[in-house]
Amino acid sequence: MATLIEHSSILIIAVPLLIAFLTPLIGMASKKARNSVVVVGLAFVAFLVFALARDVILNGIHIYTLGATSPSLAIPEGTMVPVRIILEVDGVSVFMGIVVAIVSLVAVIYSLSAMKGETGQNRFYTLLLLMVAGTFGMVFTGDLFNLFVFLEITSISGAALIAFRTKFADSQEGGFKYIVVSAIASLMVLFAISLLYAQYNLLNIGALAAAMQYTMLDRIALVILIAAFAMKLGGVPMHMWISDTYSVAPVSITVLLITASQASMYALMRICFILYGVTLDLAVVGWIVIAIGILGMFIGVTMAVRQTDITRLIAYNCVCEAGFMLIGLGVGLAVLGDRTDLGTFGTTAINGAIFHMINHALFEGLLFLVAGAIFYRIGTRDLNQMGGLGHTMKFTAGFFLLGALASSGLPPFNGFASKILIYESVYQFNPILTIIGILVSIITLAVFIKAFFSAFTGALLPKYEDIKEVPKTMIAAMTIFAVFIIIFGLFPGLILDWIVRPATDALVDQASYINAIMGAIP
Amino acid sequence: MTLIVESGYEFWNPIIWLITFAVVMVIVYFFRKRGEAKYKKGEDQTQIFLCGEEVPVAEQRHVRGGNAYWGFFETLKEYYDGIVRLHTGVVNDYVVWFVAVTAISAIILLIAELVR
Repeated sequence: MATLIEHSSILIIAVPLLIAFLTPLIGMASKKARNSVVVVGLAFVAFLVFALARDVILNGIHIYTLGATSPSLAIPEGTMVPVRIILEVDGVSVFMGIVVAIVSLVAVIYSLSAMKGETGQNRFYTLLLLMVAGTFGMVFTGDLFNLFVFLEITSISGAALIAFRTKFADSQEGGFKYIVVSAIASLMVLFAISLLYAQYNLLNIGALAAAMQYTMLDRIALVILIAAFAMKLGGVPMHMWISDTYSVAPVSITVLLITASQASMYALMRICFILYGVTLDLAVVGWIVIAIGILGMFIGVTMAVRQTDITRLIAYNCVCEAGFMLIGLGVGLAVLGDRTDLGTFGTTAINGAIFHMINHALFEGLLFLVAGAIFYRIGTRDLNQMGGLGHTMKFTAGFFLLGALASSGLPPFNGFASKILIYESVYQFNPILTIIGILVSIITLAVFIKAFFSAFTGALLPKYEDIKEVPKTMIAAMTIFAVFIIIFGLFPGLILDWIVRPATDALVDQASYINAIMGAIP
Repeated sequence: MTLIVESGYEFWNPIIWLITFAVVMVIVYFFRKRGEAKYKKGEDQTQIFLCGEEVPVAEQRHVRGGNAYWGFFETLKEYYDGIVRLHTGVVNDYVVWFVAVTAISAIILLIAELVR
């Protein structure tokens, strides 16, 4: 077991990669065998993630150096800096790893039935696993260039998956938009990395953080990195691709796109808190992040309430929820240099933002799966065409209600637990932000009341009288999300203690991240 | 380890909330049981009554998603006209927004440096 944990960080990336390339071969022999291998493989990866999370939380940062005589040997003999490919897994990384592990497993289980009628399933699962491997790589890497490489893997496989159902013209358009936006973001990230490399001859995040001078070139690199990752996470006004892509992809892919966007938010956190840390103009950068967050909350929710396409409605709600996270992170960043404010409310704001990331993945994931279930049965996403579906799709209706209440921040669900942390901590920084947040939550409730009532309540429309509930594997996938939502809602203190606070502690502790790498100088 | 969330100002305990909710539900159920229970399912008593008018068919009486919150959108018509116009759906415009955010952020950081 100790050996497994020692190599777990690379296995978590390598296992999905290996299965991705095996999938077409196994699929040619047996579809059932292929499906089983994919599900069991991702379940094994989830097990590794939880084992690694336990190890990191108990024993501290986990270093894995590829090609070294010992995985923990970050700096080779005779050199003063890390030069190899290094995975550096701390509390934030394992937190994100848990999010990706849960969501990817649910996405695959849901796909078993939802994608059954589609052609090219071997390629579908290959691309899905590549996307999962890329997302894990983004959150585990300790190296900026590898962050770019994994960002590219995630983006390219994501674009192919969005456009996977070639029979739909809007899927093609969505895939095209995703690849254009992703390519520009990736290239700008590469440009920013080159600016840092030109100055410091370093690519390792910990080593760069130790050497950071915050020169004019560093500032330019910072601005480019913030803008690029803000676009990838759907920060307003660069959010418009979200509704165009989330709404047209197969929903099991949309939930993975949510985690990919969250991986970009993770990258933004890693850059601001660890790479630059206290060298930043903290108040200015913090307020830039807060401004993107406020715009996201307000424009996201007001656009959501207007939608009549159920998946676009949920997609705009994703933009809104990302705004909540950005506000929490922005406040934490703004007070990072002030130990008093950080202790009084800054860490609570970051706790709220990080807790909201996993909650967001769960309830928006559930809502998208429900939207996919409706489309699976009635073949439309148009709310104007729906009515009374709750009479025949009782489980689906229940799941939608659960996701909607959680997303709106109603007690006792998980959305409330994370939002209350954001509201109360942010209030101490600037009360206006909390007022906007509460207003936005009220409108969010209005958004989902509209969606729920127009889709599920009222008299059952005669054209849907023969509609049945979706297959059991789709119900099972939605149940997993629902169970997590309920558990996270009922026991938020435990989740905070187990995975959220360790993530926040890792994020505000730049010195430990640097020492984990540079402390190993021979 | 605790089952509650503490924000610094106050705390949130879902278990207490659930117990309170359950008590309220029991009280509500008690009052509901006092109500009139003598009706027969499937007869005129349980049919929709619309001021004596003929009840429209299901398709016509269902409030569709597009009809919800009409007053809200009318009140905010100017805001929505502007914000919807910005959502062109053209990927070139998305890139323009990226350039604009990058430029504005750079200018803000530059001004902050000059002021400092």
